[in-house]
Amino acid sequence: MLSSLLSYLLLYRYVALAVVVYVGAVGAPLPINIMLLALGAFANQGFFSFWLSLAVTAVFNTFGDLTGYGLTWKYGEAITRFLHLRKAQFFVNLEKELRSDAAVTVFITRFAGSMSSITNLLAGLVKVPFMTFFVNDLVANILEPGMWLAIGYGVGNYWSDFSDLSSIVGGIFAVSIIMFILFRMQQRLMKKYQGSE
Amino acid sequence: MRNMEAHESGTPPNRMYRSIKITLMVLGAILALLCIFLVINYFSLRRANIINDRELSLSAFVQKHGPLTANEVGVLRSWMTFAYINKTFALPPDFLKNAFNITDAGYPNITVSHYIDSQHLASADFMISLESTIGKYLQSQSL
Repeated sequence: MLSSLLSYLLLYRYVALAVVVYVGAVGAPLPINIMLLALGAFANQGFFSFWLSLAVTAVFNTFGDLTGYGLTWKYGEAITRFLHLRKAQFFVNLEKELRSDAAVTVFITRFAGSMSSITNLLAGLVKVPFMTFFVNDLVANILEPGMWLAIGYGVGNYWSDFSDLSSIVGGIFAVSIIMFILFRMQQRLMKKYQGSE
Repeated sequence: MRNMEAHESGTPPNRMYRSIKITLMVLGAILALLCIFLVINYFSLRRANIINDRELSLSAFVQKHGPLTANEVGVLRSWMTFAYINKTFALPPDFLKNAFNITDAGYPNITVSHYIDSQHLASADFMISLESTIGKYLQSQSL
């Protein structure tokens, strides 16, 4: 999968980058972080422009995120009603959590790989205000790919040696963020429980 | 009665609270494991002298790295295009075309794997000959 992505990247350059990043942001399980690591190395070798790569990545990542957000904003209500999710206590709590901590949640989940696609769908579903979603999404979409591109640029030809490391770091980010959200949820539940006693 | 009142006023059931706690503990264990893997991976990169060789210092970001040398032909992979190989090793545009008699009209914007497939070549053999051809050329240039 990664080899094919890298071939397309070398053949179709920024068009391939835009398409891959967009599809990944919508929710396809693609190894985007490792691809960005390689892209940083390509930029180091003068085959890509670092800043143009970052701009294309940030813009199309944001478009992809907005697609997921927009879809559930429009059709999410009908889907949750169809799946009877409204009755699930966990879903209700998650919805409350996202609504009350929208900015932080949108921002930090950009660093958690495929979790960001799920957050996009949930953010649209609970109708997180557009500007809150857009601004936090865009800022994080500049920082997160920028980090992988910069590492790839720094390590140059050794980027493939860092692919395992990047997967582990991605995993640590994802688990930490899920823990953070659950911890906040637990604290809120405790406060509510103590308040009602 | 008290439980019913509590439930009606929106107090979450105990089961929910407990399941979040258990999930947090499981995730904590996963996080600890990931951190161990991170440390192991970091030290293996240090042992391989990869992190020591290229510390992520500011100079690495500012200073552009030059073309690859004959000692670095091991980075060649079949997903690479000939254009990319030419650029990274600073080869003359038609060097590989002439060396391998490549007649594909798409050269240099074709991948090595595409060329291998179209010519029904053995992938490993072709990669070895590609490495050796580039290596010899770069060595002859450095003399």
